[in-house]
Parts: sequence; C-alpha cells; structure tokens
Amino acid sequence: MKSENPLALRATPLIRGAGAFIVLAGAAFFMGDYHNDVYRKLLLWVTLALGYNFLFGVCGQVAFSHFAFYGIGAYSIVIFLFQLHLPFPLAAICGIALCIVFALAVAIPSTRLEGFYLALVTLALGQLFIVVLNEGGTVTGGTGGIANYRLPEIYGLRLRGPWYTAVIALLVVATYAVLVRLDRSGFGRACRAVRDNPEAAAAMGVDVARTKVIAFTLTSVLAGIGGMVYAFVDNTVNPPIFGIENAFLLLFMVIVGGAGRHAGAVIGAVLLFLLPFWLSPLVGHHHALVFGVLVVAAILLEPRGLIGIYDRVADRYKGSPSR
Amino acid sequence: MQDFFELAVGAAASGCVYGLIGLAYLLIIRPTGIINFAVGEWAMLAAFGGYVTLTKYEWPYPVGMAVVLGLMFVVGWATERVVVRRLVEGGAPLLAPILALLGMLVVFRESISVTFPPDPHPVPDAFGIGRLELGPIGGTYQSFFTIVTALGVFIGAWLFFERTVAGKAFEAVALNRRAAALMGIDLTRVTALSFGAGAVVAGLGGLLVAPNISAHYLMGVPLAIQGFTALVIGGVGRVAGPLLGGLLLALAEQLTVRYAPVPAGYAQGVPLVLLMVFLLLRPTGLLKAKV
Repeated sequence: MKSENPLALRATPLIRGAGAFIVLAGAAFFMGDYHNDVYRKLLLWVTLALGYNFLFGVCGQVAFSHFAFYGIGAYSIVIFLFQLHLPFPLAAICGIALCIVFALAVAIPSTRLEGFYLALVTLALGQLFIVVLNEGGTVTGGTGGIANYRLPEIYGLRLRGPWYTAVIALLVVATYAVLVRLDRSGFGRACRAVRDNPEAAAAMGVDVARTKVIAFTLTSVLAGIGGMVYAFVDNTVNPPIFGIENAFLLLFMVIVGGAGRHAGAVIGAVLLFLLPFWLSPLVGHHHALVFGVLVVAAILLEPRGLIGIYDRVADRYKGSPSR
Repeated sequence: MQDFFELAVGAAASGCVYGLIGLAYLLIIRPTGIINFAVGEWAMLAAFGGYVTLTKYEWPYPVGMAVVLGLMFVVGWATERVVVRRLVEGGAPLLAPILALLGMLVVFRESISVTFPPDPHPVPDAFGIGRLELGPIGGTYQSFFTIVTALGVFIGAWLFFERTVAGKAFEAVALNRRAAALMGIDLTRVTALSFGAGAVVAGLGGLLVAPNISAHYLMGVPLAIQGFTALVIGGVGRVAGPLLGGLLLALAEQLTVRYAPVPAGYAQGVPLVLLMVFLLLRPTGLLKAKV
C-alpha cells in the first residue's frame, strides 16, 4: 500500500483513532449511571484482553498474572496517593516501576527454559497476590480493601461521570494503537517467530528469552496502567477482583475471540463480558461453567476462535483466500 | 526437639501429598509432554468423592476409597478421550491440549460449585482420630497413613517403570514418541492410561489431604501449584523427583508457618519463592535423569 502523499499515510491511523475515541467516549454521555458503570468495566476488560492477546496470542506465552498486575497498578496508585501522599504523576510512575520490577522478577527465571514454566510461576504469583492483599493489614486494608478515596484534581481538573469514561476510552484506543504498532514492528515479528518456532527464531538471531521477557513486562505494565485507571472507577479496590478466576476469564476471552488477532480479543472480551448479563436468569452465578465449556469447545472445534469463523464467512462472500 | 519431630511428621505427610500431585503431573508429562493444570481439580473431585461416600453414606473406608479411585480412573480416561485425543491426533500444537485442560479445570471446579454448597465438606480420617508414638516421633494416624500410602504408590510406580514391559513402553514413549510407535507401542493406549493413572494418583492425594483441609471447591489450584513446585524441585527425570521435592517444599512451608515472623497465610508464597530459586539455580531439579 503506497500513498502519494506521505502526510495522508501518517494521518489515516491517527484520524481513525480519534474517530474511534470520539465514538467510544461520546457513547458514555448518552448513558445513565448504571450503564456508564457497566460500559467502563467493559472498556477495561477490552483493554486487558488486548494486552493479554499480545502476550498470549502474538507471543505465545501463557501467564495468569495479568490480574495480579492489574491489582498491583490499582493498589499501588491508591497507596502511593493516599497513604504516602505522593503527587499524582510520581505515584503513577512509582506504580509502573513496581509493575516492571515484579514482571522482570517473574519473567527472567521462568523464560530461561522451554516449556510452560511462566504459566505455573504466574499462577503461583496470582495466588500469592490475593493472600498478600488479604493479609496486608492497614496497608492493603485486608479483605475489605481500600475505599473512601476520590480521584484527586489533576492540573485543576476533576474528572467524573462520563468524562472519566472518556479517560477509559482513551486508554482503550491508546492501548490498541500501541499494540497494533508493536505487532507490525520488528519486535512483533520476533514475538510471532518465538511463538511459532522458537528454535527457528533463535537461528534467525532472535533472542528468544529476551523477547519473551520484554513481551511479558510490557503487557504486564499495560495491565498495571489499566489497574490504575480502574482504581477510580469504583473508588474502591478489594481483593476478589484481582484473583486467578479473572485471569482465567481473560485467557478464555482471547481464545474464544481468536488468539493473535486484536479484533478477536475485542470480540471475545465484549462477548464474555456481556454473556453473564444474559445468562444470569438461566444459570445464576455459575456462568464460569458455561465459559469453561465454551473454551473447550472453541479449542476442539474452532481453534482460531470467533474471528476465524468470521474470516471464513467473509471469504465465502468475497471469494478471496484469507490472509 | 519434640516440637521439631512433630513438625517433621506433619511436613512429611503434606510433602507426600504434594509428591503424589507431582507424580500425577509427571505420569502425564513424560509420555505426552502435556502439563495438565487440572490435576489439582482431580484431587478436589476425589476429596468430594470421599465426602459423598465416606461422610454422607458412611461406607467403610477401603470400599469408599476404592470406589472413588476407580471413578477417578474413569474421569482421567474420559478427559483424555473427550478433550485431549482429538487434539493430539489432529496434530494440534502442544499448547492446544494444555489450554483445553485448563478449560476442563474450570469445568470440573464449577461443576462441583454448582452441585455442593460453598462451605468446606468434612472427610473422615482413614483410621479415625488418634495419635501414634514411635519413640520420639509422634503424629496423627492420618499422617502415618498418608506417608505409608504415598511411599507405597511411589515404590509401585518405580517398580512399574523399572521392572515391567508396560513401564518400559511408557518410558519409550517418553523418550521418542515416533520411534515408540514404530516399535509397535500403542500411543493412544499409553496416553489414555497415563491420564487415567494420573487422575488416580492425584485423586489419592486429594483423598489423603482432605481430612486436614476439608473438601472445598477452591482447594484444587493451591494443590496444583504445590504439586508442580514439588516436580520442579525434584526433577521430572525420575519417579522419586516429585516425592523429594514435595518433602522439601512441605518442610519449608511448615518452618515458615512456625518460625517466620509473617502471617501464616504468607506460607503460600513459599512455592513461588522455591520455584523461582530452582528455575534460576537448578532448572533440572535435584535428581538428574538417568542417561
């Protein structure tokens, strides 16, 4: 795809991004409080799914720590802001630094070997994180978590209601833009090579372990930033949100939607987020059972997920082979 | 000293349970390469089986145990038949069955959470509640029963792999699937049996630990983590690996609970720390595989 006008080439994704942001953020202004709340959480799930898809779908790494990092982000910003009284930008930077430290500490030992050590180590980390939150005393607020705080004024602005939803919309669009960019860069190709054939990737000069560590750290930081934004959605943080259950759900979203495709992650996140609302009259709180069956069915019947089905249908109408 | 022996017996019993879960991983990893995250849920299923047969219907312990373990074999075999076999024979990447088993983890757990109320369900001790004193070493009946049973299973597994033709077939598949198939070993059967045996061993672990921690639908994941840590510490190469790893892990946990100045819940961090230390310093585990 070559364009005559280099400006047009550069402007197109920017305009598309701005358009997406305006639509996503604008929608919030037509919603009531309840729907705004649901909508914000949907957008946060989409953000998380996009990041997780980069790690799992593009780089082929299974990890269960995404919600732990989401939690580290959420708790750290609250603790830094309201217990240590740091200014907002500093608190955010400290939170990100914390995510990086934990991500490196986990990823460096577990990516030295072939196999699924990262999955198991992050499973242990996710489990431990909840214990630490529950036993953390006054720092983490124990099982009750931390509540009764509000987003401070940032440069004299106090964001609330749909305006805060707009911040989340910005987060989704920015995450999407960063990940698509990254996916198309040399690093994204290295990630895909590591996923498909680590030996061949190594032979081509890709540092396999380093690629895995960077991908894990980067997506963990994205999850942490998502968590910081989440902290001011409910204005409370408590342990159950950040458990292993949600980490499984995130993985299922990406598998059902279609691993390795950004659109797949979005579809999976939206579908599995909304499914409980439709299912609850039928199965009550046991929708996780439906998710489990759904993911096993997806792996057995359509490993490329819903986006794979879409591709096939689209191909039949267009009559062109898929890419 | 008395205190330490008491702790050591308790740790040995927990370590044997972790070792059994680790062995369940190992039985499946060796011939197939598949890490089965659902072994912890298998232990949980067996613990609930123990609740139903032993607590609710009050069957004699050996009968209940035999029925539960028999059912666990069926569960393991069926898991392989329904979920894994299609993927392996269809030439899917190794990740596919692993993820499918992760889905099964949720299916197992949620099936139990739908069926039973969410509170802990008691499972009885094998020989009732009582203490056995052997000189300075003392512990509950259940601790000694756990240790003896687990040792029996490990000796049995060792004899199977070392002394029987079927065990050699398992080893051959572990070394080289294609060559083993060419030698006339039925890969499908070996895989199905490894899942069945894995479920029985994991189920035994769940049944043995259930009197201490009660059957609960969330008990699976911690056991899965502890069992895997046992495997990493001890090494995948040898049958004795998970047992040694499990004993070390349990000892480290008990010492942390007893002597470390942190809340007892933080003992759940011990597997993570040991995992990271061993992956950094000795990724092959303590016991080397035989050449």
